[in-house]
Amino acid sequence: MSDLDMYRSLYVAESRENLENIVKHLLVLEKGSDQDAIAEIFRSAHSLKGMSASMGFDDMEQICHAMEDIFQSLRSGDLHVDTEVIDLLLKAADDIEAMVDDIEAGGQGHSPNLDQRLESLRSWKAGGRQDRDRGVPIVSPTRDVSTADSRSSDWNNLGTSLYRLEIELDGKCDTKNLRGMIILQNLDSLGEIIDIVPAREVIEDGDFEGAIYLSIRSENDGDALVKAASVSEVCTVRISSPEEKSASAPREVITSRDDARDRKEAAVPASDRGREVKNIRVDITRLDQMMNLIEDLVINRGRVMQIAQKYRMKDLDETLNMIGRSVADLQNLMMNIRMIPLSHIFNRFPRTVRDLSQKMGKEIELTIEGGQTELDRSVMEGLNDPLLHLIRNAIDHGIEFPDQREKAGKPRKGLIQISAQRDRDNVIITIQDDGAGIDPDRTLNKALQRELITRDSAPGMSKEEIFDLLFQPGFSTAEKVTDVSGRGVGLDVVKTAMQAVKGSIKVESEPGTGTRFELLLPPTMAIVDVMMVRINGRRCAIPVNNIVEVASLAGTQIHSIGARETILLRDEILTLNRLDDMFEGSNGAEILVILQNQQKKMAITVDAIIGQQEVVIKPLTRIVGSCPGISGVTIPGDGQVVPVIDVNSIVMEN
Amino acid sequence: MGKILIVDDTLFMRTLLKNILFSGGHTIAGEAADGDDAIEKYRELKPDIVTMDVVMPKMNGIDALKGIKALDPNARVIMCTAVGQEQMVKLAIKSGARGYIVKPFQAPKVLDEIKNILES
Repeated sequence: MSDLDMYRSLYVAESRENLENIVKHLLVLEKGSDQDAIAEIFRSAHSLKGMSASMGFDDMEQICHAMEDIFQSLRSGDLHVDTEVIDLLLKAADDIEAMVDDIEAGGQGHSPNLDQRLESLRSWKAGGRQDRDRGVPIVSPTRDVSTADSRSSDWNNLGTSLYRLEIELDGKCDTKNLRGMIILQNLDSLGEIIDIVPAREVIEDGDFEGAIYLSIRSENDGDALVKAASVSEVCTVRISSPEEKSASAPREVITSRDDARDRKEAAVPASDRGREVKNIRVDITRLDQMMNLIEDLVINRGRVMQIAQKYRMKDLDETLNMIGRSVADLQNLMMNIRMIPLSHIFNRFPRTVRDLSQKMGKEIELTIEGGQTELDRSVMEGLNDPLLHLIRNAIDHGIEFPDQREKAGKPRKGLIQISAQRDRDNVIITIQDDGAGIDPDRTLNKALQRELITRDSAPGMSKEEIFDLLFQPGFSTAEKVTDVSGRGVGLDVVKTAMQAVKGSIKVESEPGTGTRFELLLPPTMAIVDVMMVRINGRRCAIPVNNIVEVASLAGTQIHSIGARETILLRDEILTLNRLDDMFEGSNGAEILVILQNQQKKMAITVDAIIGQQEVVIKPLTRIVGSCPGISGVTIPGDGQVVPVIDVNSIVMEN
Repeated sequence: MGKILIVDDTLFMRTLLKNILFSGGHTIAGEAADGDDAIEKYRELKPDIVTMDVVMPKMNGIDALKGIKALDPNARVIMCTAVGQEQMVKLAIKSGARGYIVKPFQAPKVLDEIKNILES
């Protein structure tokens, strides 16, 4: 078994793909019989069975086999889909998922539910079966001798001879019929088979002991006929020619089956191997290792560049330029390799929606668009839970019960739309429902109750600002806690998760018509272009994506509004933040850097601009803990640790 | 030694089969993941033998076999079959398949079948 271990990760990856395909099409099937879906599930169950058998995962093989059996009957129309079987098959799919998990962890994929599940699958099949037991097709007894007419053909055709063949199949051969058919097929191409015992139909059904006797008229010599009859699992072929019967004894050819096994062939030259292989699968941990190495390379390239600046050697500079280009290409390549289509997580949602809506007694249709949009794996990992949370919210609090919807003049079936698209440097994911929507007044009242805002600040708030309150810690709109979405966890958790992947979230809602969440994500997060600046003698980095422009503070009028300072820049009033609380701001700051996050802008002051460079942002470790205003650290060329300003939080807090 | 085109919709099975064939000293002419692809690759690569999975998306193995036979009546196609697919294999043999191997593959049996067909 151990030599099969090399296939394990491949097995796991393809099993998951097949399982996903099964679940996806089961959900299609639930909406009504669909031959394509049945064929797809059959195919996937069949592939899964074959792979599992090859790996020796018996439980998996058995459950897939039972599934395949059911779909075989569905395909032939003997059985029909009902909700019972869909539920049953989805449970079986859950078992399979658990088994694949176990196999991935190094187990044999044993399932504690196996017997019970097999039993229920089989009993459904037996219970639903009506017109089975058709058995083997009946063989016409009159056709014991094939092509009776051929007997009358001229036996003494010029150039042809009549041979008699006795072919014996290996006793261990369990598909005598198929081997027999191949033999006959081969011989048919060489001549005319005149007599054959047993009859072709009997051979096809496999209802014979393993010996075939036949006469054949052929212009080929006896060796060719023996060769044609010596297919796999044939142990003896005897041939005799009636015309030369007296001249020589029947020749006996015993085909040996052992030589192939003992033979050691010369190895194929490596260049020939895998020439056509266009895709390989690589363990993700290796990609992560490679990513880390590239990050180190980026850091050290920066260091060498700084050293080179000291010495100003033309050759060195040129070489460094070339290395720089290679490293940049390598980075881009690595980024692309790490991209995964969103369908990886989207594909799970139909099942979630189905299960939850059934549980809640709601009718919901889910549409998904843009699953092919790609994101870096690290971003993707942090995305599953927030998205799931939003979907649960939409099902639980968004979509109304069918009767309620009907009263409101809406279709009984609610709609949840998930879509993803690439927009310049970002990926935008939206989750939209046509449910009850969020009531701004109620939201405001709740925020007041929870003391998230004061009575004074409430009146002037825009709808957008009110909805922003939903993301505050300690806010939960659910009137009661349900086991679908309310576990005391609110949208603030979603927001935090989004921030962790350098993304952002906003919500739009219209009471009565629905809610729309929009998630803005960077497609990758590992390597970022930053501007290095000096603030009060300290170096820090600002992501270039967030910088709108750099201006001089001199000559810019600073207005004080309350405790805040603002500036007027190109007819725009911007808050000025000297980052005093972070860097004990200095008075020498002469330069304005205008930052932007989504639609909000603000200005900060810095002492100097050092330059622009690509860096790897490392998150703050748990030991440091989270630090407001700092999204991580980076290590530029000189090896010192430089904080990276978290523009999102600074701008949003203003 | 033969130049073999492997047709199967799972990378897993293709890899498994490929390694068995390598161990027998055969060369892999190419791989195809569905029936359409198989016919195209056959035309392009002219392999000595094709190992053909039966159940595949788009075009199944039987139709692909017929397609290949239409291109080249002498094409040597071996069906890859699972226990219980007898009817399919019968159909394949009637459509000109020259042999079959049964999943889960056993290396000696696979190599034996290939050898027999190469020699015939």
